[in-house]
Amino acid sequence: MKRRLFLKAGTVGLASAVSGMSGLLSWSSRAYAATINQTFFITDGMLPLADGSTAYFKGFSSSAGGLDVPAQSLIVQEGDTVNITLVNTLNTDHSFVIDGVIDSGTINGGDTRTVSFTADQAGSYLFYDKLNAPYNRVIGLHGGFAIMPQGSSDELYSGSPTFKKQLFWVLNEVDPAWNVRMQNDNSPNTAFKPRYFTMNGLSARPPGSPNYTDPDVNAFYDPRTKLSGSIGDRTLIRCLNVGMCSHSLHWHANHLEYLTSNGQIRNDIWLKDIIGVDNNMGQFDAIYPFEPPPDAYPSVTKGKYVMHLHDEMTQTAGGGLYQFGAATNIDFK
Amino acid sequence: MGRRRGSSTTSSSGMGGGGMGGGGGMGGACYTYPGAPATPGLTTPDVTFNRGIYMNGSMRMDDGRNVTIWGFTDGGGGMGGMGGSFPSPAIRVNQGQIVHTVLSNPGMMWLHTIHHHGIEPSTENDGVGHTSFDVQGTYTYQWLASHAGTYFYHCHTNTPLHAEMGMYGALIIDPPEGPGRVFEGGPSYDVEAIWAVDEIDSSWRGNPWNAGTCGGDVGLNDLNPDYFIITGVDGAQSALTDSRVAVDMNRGETLLVRYINAGFLPQTIRFGGLTGSVVASDGRAFPNAMDATSLETVSAERYDILLNPSSSGSYTVEIDIKHWVTGDVLGTARTRINVN
Repeated sequence: MKRRLFLKAGTVGLASAVSGMSGLLSWSSRAYAATINQTFFITDGMLPLADGSTAYFKGFSSSAGGLDVPAQSLIVQEGDTVNITLVNTLNTDHSFVIDGVIDSGTINGGDTRTVSFTADQAGSYLFYDKLNAPYNRVIGLHGGFAIMPQGSSDELYSGSPTFKKQLFWVLNEVDPAWNVRMQNDNSPNTAFKPRYFTMNGLSARPPGSPNYTDPDVNAFYDPRTKLSGSIGDRTLIRCLNVGMCSHSLHWHANHLEYLTSNGQIRNDIWLKDIIGVDNNMGQFDAIYPFEPPPDAYPSVTKGKYVMHLHDEMTQTAGGGLYQFGAATNIDFK
Repeated sequence: MGRRRGSSTTSSSGMGGGGMGGGGGMGGACYTYPGAPATPGLTTPDVTFNRGIYMNGSMRMDDGRNVTIWGFTDGGGGMGGMGGSFPSPAIRVNQGQIVHTVLSNPGMMWLHTIHHHGIEPSTENDGVGHTSFDVQGTYTYQWLASHAGTYFYHCHTNTPLHAEMGMYGALIIDPPEGPGRVFEGGPSYDVEAIWAVDEIDSSWRGNPWNAGTCGGDVGLNDLNPDYFIITGVDGAQSALTDSRVAVDMNRGETLLVRYINAGFLPQTIRFGGLTGSVVASDGRAFPNAMDATSLETVSAERYDILLNPSSSGSYTVEIDIKHWVTGDVLGTARTRINVN
């Protein structure tokens, strides 16, 4: 897997974009608009699943020889000019779309195209291949994109509650029967029956399992995904559901501030331990506040907890293997 | 009180430790973390609930079939002897109380935990195997009831199977002064209903407690429910009249519905043409109440809804349980609010 390759900073403007492990990097606001240049190579290949089997995927990858599922996330600022170059290394047609922002149109196999747009509305977005819907999206051609409010380093939208860290959680499921069809350039011809469940492309691995401590493999430890902080390290979660299934997300140890649903700012901020997300590109934004767990007695400020999907079929791989599904750790350090 | 400290069984895994990965272990289970350490900071509680295990219960459906149910007994012991109530007996406390939930799971036959869903205690008391331990022996979960509201508790071991098999019960935190208001300083109510709406896939019955934990396809990714129930009563017909679910009230009274999506799939609940005032969710009061004639919910969400019917009559409440891919309605559970 080469999904961790960092993009090479080729221009001055690009250095201002935060990509890859955005959760670990602090976002710096700018007083000026920048030009952000990003290149994605549309590639394919085999990736491992949680039970050791493999499946075929396509991705918007950071190198011609890599395969990133999902793509590296990208954070820009309101007012920035964004230039995305798509290099289609495959022989099939693909596209690059951010709904309401940009649509590349069909990029034929072997072609290269650059799309440009101005980032003008703060918020969380999915970029994806809209062709052959939903198959090209579900097979891996997707990634997270965020626009920060102008001059702000800690808000989702101007005036929103503030955060110290931010993460993308891209949810997806895998029905290997679909991947086999796509590998042979056919559209799937069976009803979607998910057998693997991923966050940012990975499934969890419990203590005692192979690769338990490997953050490149284990969604419990993937730094792009896991919630890790001390008291007060308020963390924004930008959740984008690429998959075919609706989901319920459940956080232990803290309720979240539920800020947006499907791109709309909610009238009131509810405190929730469950947030639902629609299938087929539903999304929400919420802040995990990292407050002392309120029901601990004696009180505590440190501990190890879990976020997992509560439609518990998602906690399996290949029809069994509980704890090998869509989940991540919550570490109070 | 029946409280026992520690256990004859030592915790082999400790906090987030090794576990029993890769095969073998208790009864052929994998990735389980048996233990029952002393409760950190154990203190004298304000209230104690003792819970045992039953794994041979059954529920009789309206079509005459009996479906296997697992759950928690009231009083500990258990060992799968005589079955127990379904849902498991409620845990009801007042805000501010220190609570002990004592789970007794003696022997070597199976592992379970209690996760008090929505309650946010220390790691040891959260009831999640891989971050602490699956209880083998007796463990005292100690927690503080900090926020009034509607919660539930369920087993968090091999959760897709154990929760589907019925291992859950209501958990209610009343305001400090006790029942009668939804939360401290909040709206009052005269009549209360607790509706835990769940779907049952009878084809999942027959699995052992550790099914699939070592790998292999036991179908836990594929839920195809054939029964739709409200608080342990079949929603096909029985829940329309069963006094455990259906509500009888007088005009002018206020009904509090504590609605729990106790299944895994999305649900739509419609209030029979009545408009409810939704005042809280997941144990937290809303900044502003929200009027609703229906709600879309997902697994484990709770909503507190006040209904104040101005006309007498019988209102049929319907809960659709929907497929997570297609959104198709797989079944509908029904009950009634009868207003005199």
